[in-house]
Order: sequence, then C-alpha cells, then structure tokens
Amino acid sequence: MRRALLAITGLAASTTALVVLKGSPGTSQVAQDLPADQASVVPGASGGPAAPGVTPDPAAPSRSTRPSRTTAPTKSTATVRATTAAPRPTTSAPKSSTTRTVTGPTVTYKYGSLQVRITLSGSRIVDATALGMPVGGQSGLRADDVQARYSGTSGEVVAKQSANLNTVSGATYTSTAYKQSLQAAIDRA
Amino acid sequence: MAEVAEVAEVAASRGRPGLRRVEQIMGTAISLDLADDLPAATLHELAEETFRWLRAVDARFSTYREDSEVRRFDRGELPLAGASAELRWVLERCADLWGATDGFFDAYATGRLDPSGYVKGWAAQVASDRLRAAGAVNHCVNAGGDVRVRGHSATGEPWRIGIRHPWDPAATCLVLTGTDLAVATSGVYERGQHVLDPRRGTPAPGLRSVTVVGADLGVADAYATAAVAMGRSGIGWLDRLPDHLHAVVTDDGRLLHSTRLPVTD
Repeated sequence: MRRALLAITGLAASTTALVVLKGSPGTSQVAQDLPADQASVVPGASGGPAAPGVTPDPAAPSRSTRPSRTTAPTKSTATVRATTAAPRPTTSAPKSSTTRTVTGPTVTYKYGSLQVRITLSGSRIVDATALGMPVGGQSGLRADDVQARYSGTSGEVVAKQSANLNTVSGATYTSTAYKQSLQAAIDRA
Repeated sequence: MAEVAEVAEVAASRGRPGLRRVEQIMGTAISLDLADDLPAATLHELAEETFRWLRAVDARFSTYREDSEVRRFDRGELPLAGASAELRWVLERCADLWGATDGFFDAYATGRLDPSGYVKGWAAQVASDRLRAAGAVNHCVNAGGDVRVRGHSATGEPWRIGIRHPWDPAATCLVLTGTDLAVATSGVYERGQHVLDPRRGTPAPGLRSVTVVGADLGVADAYATAAVAMGRSGIGWLDRLPDHLHAVVTDDGRLLHSTRLPVTD
C-alpha cells in the first residue's frame, strides 16, 4: 500500500515536471510563426538569455523617430543572414501576459543596417517592427551629422542667388539660361 | 565640327590675368577658365590644345555620329584589338564602374553602347591634367556641368562652384569652394528621364539631383548618375563611398550633404 502511494506520488511528480519543462519551448515555436522575411532579421546572433535589448532598449526610441525609412527593410531581407529564431527568453514560463518588447542588435546589409523590435504578449509575438533606417556604421554617422537645410517651414531647398561664382555644376545641357549666364560672366570678366 | 557653332574667348581683359573661352562640344557648353598670369600667346595655345582634345574625344565617342569609333565598335565593325587606346581605356573604366555601382552605372543601359556618362567627365579630367602638366596650375574646366578646378581663380581666391538648383535653372542651391576638386552633378531635371534604373528600365524616384565631389571627374560623374538611378538607397550608398563627398536633393526638396563638403556662403 505504501509502495503504491509512493509510486503514485512519483508519477504525479514526474508528470508535473514534464508539464513544466514542456512549457518553455513553446516560445520559440511562436517565434517561427513570424513571416519568414521578418523572422530572418531577428538576430539569433545576440545569443542566449542575456541577449542585449531583452529589456526595452533605451536607444530604440531615438532611432525609431527617424522618419520615412520604413520601405527599405523589405528589400533588404534577401541579403540578411538568416539566423535561428528569436532572442530566447529565459526558460521559465512567462509570469504574466503583459506585453513587452525585445530589440535585436543592428544587422548590417548591403545598403545599410537595420534593427528589429518585436513585441510579445506573454510568450506570443504580436508585432515585429524594423527600427529607424539607416542606423549604425557610416550611415549612422551621416544621419547624425548630416545637415538638412530647409527654407522656412516649406521644407524646400534654399535657392542661392549667389554672385561671385566662378562656375556652376549641374547645368548639364545647353539651356539658354546657362549660356546667357555664362556669356554674361564672360562679358563681365 | 558642325557643333562648334559658338566660340567665345576673352583674354586678359581689364587687368585680370588669364583667359576664358567657351565652345559647344559634345552637345553641351564647355568652358575653360585659365587663371594663370601667362603670356597671351601661351594661354591661347593652351586653350587651343584643350579644345582640340575635347573635339577629338567628341569625334571618337559621339553616339550621334555613325562614323564615330564608338558606333563602329558597337556595330561590330571594329574589333576590340583594333580599337584606340582611348576607347579601350573607356571600356575598361565603364566595366569597373559597372561593378563599383552594383550595375547602376551601365554604359549599355539603352541597349547599345553609350559611355557618354563617363566620357564627358573623363575628357575634362584629362584636359585638366594636361593643363597642370603644361604649367597652367590654376584653371577651371566645366564640361556641361562637370567641373574640374585646380589652384585659384584669377582673383587669387579658391574657386567658387555653384551647384545648380534642381528646380530653378537660373539659381544655385549650394556653393562649394576649393583648390583641387572634381564636382559632378547629375539630376533628373534637364534631360527628363535620362537617368534610369537599369534593372527596371524606369526612372528611379527619390532623388532630384546628386552632386559627387572627388578627385576624378569621370568617376564622380558616373557615381552621381548611379546614385540618382538608385533612388533613396543611393544616399546610403554615397555615404559608404571612400574618398568622395556628396550633396543630395531629394524629390521632396531636402538638401543633405556630407559634413566635410567644402560648402561656403
């Protein structure tokens, strides 16, 4: 009788263990539900549980503010290294079903680099977004350093009616204006 | 040389040293500004040599003349082994540039050989190189918008090069200054849709004009043309070009440029 009790307890315990252990791999299953092109840029290179950016990346907001670069990522996917699944959360089952974001590291591809941020609800990925383009490398330098000039609020490039020019680049054809201007310059010489 | 309809030359007037001359060659205006204080006869001979070279390039590389070497080569009447050293050089450079631009600079984009996108800048670059070698170290050559400057202008200041405003042919949007620059600007504004994405055969949207600054005018011109063809992704591509600086005007009118671009007021 006592033996039977032990056996039953043991069975129960091992069943529980099985159930608990089975819980975690489901996370990576969910990750594979992503469309292939998005999943491929989620970098497994970030490695194990201590992957950078598992907590919301403080750098992410500033990058995501950069506008109108969102079309590029779709083209990029072919050249991005396909890697294994999403950054793996820790092996313990999610404690709550609140959403959180995981940001992958910057991935460089042919015409720039990008970063993918996924949003998880519990262990389920509910969104995947490519962050600001381009970031990192020289493109990042350019984006940070380059000067964008606007004329007032119209956003148009400023026309400079600069006198004292020696020559003009870009007047590729023999436009009348170019010839006149050139001739005028010669006449003034 | 039916195209040489207009020749204007001004030599050492009003105490300003040097010589200025404009000719219509390669279907465009080519201007020469010699700023060295050399004897008038010397300056005149330098100008003669320069324009003789440019006319010879036009005769050899024109795609509008059926008897040009380029046309004969393209029709298969001239084997590569029989081609001039200039043509072989240009073909090699165009092949290099095709590779360097991921195929966006394509001398065969129209289906037949048309290396004009490299030839114009290259011809002006060679002209500038020869002028320097001949002792005319202060000069400006402008071949239809492709500019090569060396030294200083006749006023003793570094050259001042305006970049054409992409919506206003009579205005500039940027002024560069320097003593050793090749400046090429390519845009969709003058010849309409002449800049095509060679992969799709359609004009690439995104960039209204691209200016590339480097050391070699032929390369700068090809890079500028390629970047326009790339569209917006051309900006990132330009950023990664070593030894070149750039300015870009987007379709929505934003002007971006390398921080080290020698911009002046």
